[in-house]
Amino acid sequence: MGIRFVLMVNKQGQTRLAQYYEYLNIEERRALEGEIVRKCLTRNEQQCSFVEHRNYKVVYRRYASLFFLVGVDNEENELAILEFIHLLVETMDRHFGNVCELDIMFHLEKAHFMLEEMVMNGCIVETSKANILSPIQLLDKAS
Amino acid sequence: MGSQGGFGQSKEFLDLIKSIGESRSKAEEDRIVLREVETLKVRLNDPNTPKYKLKEYIIRLLYVEMLGHDASFGYIHAVKMTHDENLLLKRTGYLAVTLFLNEDHDLIILIVNTIQKDLKSDNFLVVCAALNAVCRLINEETIPAVLPQVVDLLGHQKEAVRKKAVMALHRFSQKAPGSVSHLVSNFRKKLCDNDPGVMGAALCPLFDLINADADKYKDLVVSFVNILKQVAERRLPKSYDYHQMPAPFIQIKLLKILSLLGTGDKKASEQMYTIVGDIMRKCDSTSNIGNAILYESICCVSSLHPNPKLLEAAADAIAKFLKSDSHNLKYLGIDALTRLIKINPEIAEQHQLAVIDCLEDPDDTLKRKTFDLLYKMTNSSNVEVIVDRMIEYMISINDSHYKTEIASRCVELAEQFAPNNQWFIQTMNKVFEHAADLVNAKVAHNLMKLIAEGFGEDDDTADSQLRSSAVESYLRIMGEPKLPSAFLQVICWVLGEYGIADGKYSASYIIGKLCDVAEAHPDDDTVKAYAVTGIMKIYSFEIASGKPVDLLPECQSLIEEMLASHSTDLQQRAYELQSIFTLDAQAAKKIMPMDSTCDDIEIDKNLSFLDVYVQQAIENGAQPYIPESERLGISSVSDFRSHDEHEPSTHALRFEAYELPKPSLPHNIPPVLASSTELVPVEPSYVIDILHPTSAPSASDAGSSELKLRLDGVQKKWGRPTYSSPAPSSSSTDLVKVQNETPRPDSTGSSKPKTRDTSYDSRKQQNEIPPEKQKLAASLFGGSSKSEGRHPPSQKNTKTQTHTSDKSRSSKASAPDTAVKPSQPPPDLLDLGEPSIASSVPSVDPFKQFEGLFDFTQETTPPASTGGVDGASKDSDFTSLFADMSLSAQSHIDPNPESNGLGGSKVEPSSPQLNKGPNLKEALEKDALVRQVGVTPSGQNPNLFKDLLG
Repeated sequence: MGIRFVLMVNKQGQTRLAQYYEYLNIEERRALEGEIVRKCLTRNEQQCSFVEHRNYKVVYRRYASLFFLVGVDNEENELAILEFIHLLVETMDRHFGNVCELDIMFHLEKAHFMLEEMVMNGCIVETSKANILSPIQLLDKAS
Repeated sequence: MGSQGGFGQSKEFLDLIKSIGESRSKAEEDRIVLREVETLKVRLNDPNTPKYKLKEYIIRLLYVEMLGHDASFGYIHAVKMTHDENLLLKRTGYLAVTLFLNEDHDLIILIVNTIQKDLKSDNFLVVCAALNAVCRLINEETIPAVLPQVVDLLGHQKEAVRKKAVMALHRFSQKAPGSVSHLVSNFRKKLCDNDPGVMGAALCPLFDLINADADKYKDLVVSFVNILKQVAERRLPKSYDYHQMPAPFIQIKLLKILSLLGTGDKKASEQMYTIVGDIMRKCDSTSNIGNAILYESICCVSSLHPNPKLLEAAADAIAKFLKSDSHNLKYLGIDALTRLIKINPEIAEQHQLAVIDCLEDPDDTLKRKTFDLLYKMTNSSNVEVIVDRMIEYMISINDSHYKTEIASRCVELAEQFAPNNQWFIQTMNKVFEHAADLVNAKVAHNLMKLIAEGFGEDDDTADSQLRSSAVESYLRIMGEPKLPSAFLQVICWVLGEYGIADGKYSASYIIGKLCDVAEAHPDDDTVKAYAVTGIMKIYSFEIASGKPVDLLPECQSLIEEMLASHSTDLQQRAYELQSIFTLDAQAAKKIMPMDSTCDDIEIDKNLSFLDVYVQQAIENGAQPYIPESERLGISSVSDFRSHDEHEPSTHALRFEAYELPKPSLPHNIPPVLASSTELVPVEPSYVIDILHPTSAPSASDAGSSELKLRLDGVQKKWGRPTYSSPAPSSSSTDLVKVQNETPRPDSTGSSKPKTRDTSYDSRKQQNEIPPEKQKLAASLFGGSSKSEGRHPPSQKNTKTQTHTSDKSRSSKASAPDTAVKPSQPPPDLLDLGEPSIASSVPSVDPFKQFEGLFDFTQETTPPASTGGVDGASKDSDFTSLFADMSLSAQSHIDPNPESNGLGGSKVEPSSPQLNKGPNLKEALEKDALVRQVGVTPSGQNPNLFKDLLG
């Protein structure tokens, strides 16, 4: 399966984007988001960007006030996932221009569209920014 | 590009987002969302709602659910939106349903028809949107409804469609492998698609398939090696580059696949050595992504058939990782070490000090990874130190998931490598004391079995010593409060079985103890049952040996209590115990033979002893027993069932009705195969391999020809056809050289060479290393001569054993105990205004220098008591920013591709901020002022504010 979920949560623990690749109900999501954000907040900058949680690992990275958290299986290359997060942010930045938390909030669906292009069935399928963004640009033009 | 407003977003929407963004507590956010739920309920049900508004409402609905509230009232509107003609509305509708619904939701059936229609659309964006939904919402039952169309789309002219079609098939094979098993050849075909994106997508299903059964795909080794080579030679489009590495994510996937294919396969491995070596050389070890590839290469090397040259390169890379300051790299280094240690157990020795540093690091993630390593390198000479460490850590943590894991590992290692009985029993006691209820119930049974059977040596004295020491330690422990139930059960069983075996303790003493246990745990029926049975055993042993028996008063009252118990099990045990007293020695010996747990009990499954009784009953007119299989009715029922299975379609959903009549699936296969032979040269060789699996030498020939053919197909698109074979670097001279370079004698037995290694590696460090750490290193890695003295050759002598284990424990106790620190209470994330947050957060922002993170150090250092003020000022930032309708400087994300470095405190170019109004400036300056005047500002923050403003 690889990637189990991609979360964006701010420092106050408020979810800004959540995409789960295996179904969890609302209560389970709420609990999971709370637990892992709490876990990541207690860690300092020297510590690993990886945290074990239950039977999977969470790879996290902080950009300004926003945490990007990706839950992965044990077989996944953690450092590559860390860079995948960065690729996602770079891609969003290319589209929005100096992306910030508010961009993601105002264009939640677009952030999701980008993620849809990059990850399918929990696998990374596309890593070319041009390919990721072209359907979204076409969509912008069409509407 | 505008980040706010525009694109028809209404004021209402902006206000909602603003208020959610500004909400300062979960409670406030909940209030906002609940109000929004009421609004949406009215609006969505209003038939006059214009279409363009609908999209916005659905996105607002996404917020409702994302923030943890039920939005199911609006699901149907999201479903309806997927029907819309407008592309943006349609895609948003699909997005919403994939986020709202799981594949078994009732509404899915309403979407399947839309998906079918959209898959046929002329607009490829519509097809892509539908394929996204297919990947999320189609379950086993609905696969047939879309499968033919998805297969058709594999040949679509748009690469984006082909890519998503591959992933849809991948999804089907995950959900119901049987449904697409005849279509697997498509994945092979897509591997040489003209578009690298499609090829990259095809790696995902192939990885899964190879993971399940690598043997079927050995013919693809050459293709994968080739693709990897082309990727590494930068033949893919520039847009796949990431931080100067060519398509790193594809490289990593390919390395994963190669390591699966090369596991335990010398021939396949040999084909991979060159390219893996090349990749390791080419990795840019200054960037994260370069190290990610390097790490993946090490993983690959560790699972391939060993190659000295590659192993050496891997060891070098590991050394670099471990010496790095970055915890992420250390973590990968430890993990890689764990993988490589299987091949070369000595490799860990060079890094012993680094390993110990990681073990003692306060970072839990790193510590656990190191425990994984220690677990893998445990042997009989270091088991005591390692297991002691593990138990120490186990006691210190609360995470029950990991506690369970580490407890089971302790048990496993103790069972496998225990140097002596004494130590084994003590270790098990410690594990059980702290985690008995977490470990598998089987572990407790194993322990009982082990005590009963001994260590398998044909030495009865050792066995009885083991039992005596168990009994002795249990008698000592059992008085302690709050022992886990599973541990008490073991204690009761062992005391019953062996409590009086060595004659050291009297029967009444043991019985008294067992009564105490039963009394102390009135609510635990299982423990009570174990205790009563233990008592029963001891009484019957006493009776059997002909001693006079008198019922202890506490035992009498226990029996009476149990006779009245609600548990029938306890009642029965009490009655049985009572009746024991009426028996003579002979009978008692028969029902409770001494030390007979390991004897096999023969069970007469035919119940032949009942024959006489049955015979009598039949003679008296009873009906004879008819076996179940022969009984009437059952057979017809099973007939009915099998009949039913033949026609599942009558009950299942039917999708064919909407389709043109299509040929049944088996007919599909031949044409597919035929076309594949035309397109791809992989197919025939695959068939050949299956037909002649023994023709090993010819396979390489076939491989090389396939290699050329394949290149013809791929190169046209990806680059010049320069298939320059690299210098045959795996030549014999290289091998010889490597062997000369690693003349390390086999040093498993002797300790001297290891010491030399260490001092050579880090002579300078050693002088500064505290002696405790050296001692620990010595005991873990067997590097120092001291370790030899710790493990006396004789393991039978109890006296020496006690002595030894005490000694090792004391040495352990003297080791630095930095491991366990009281963890800080996690901050409450949801109450933003509470000053308690700040006080629990370290005074320096944890992420200030986070790797690859772009500077926003102004965010850092909320000093302990300014939490409230800080939060408030931040909020005012937010408001003013919002009013400004421009980018928030504070939450600005700068994804500078260059900054992989550590803690790059890079300052933003000021141009985007120039248009920010004076309001913002004032707010930020005010904030800076607050910090300056506030308790302990870090000093540099105000400056950072200034810089950002330009």
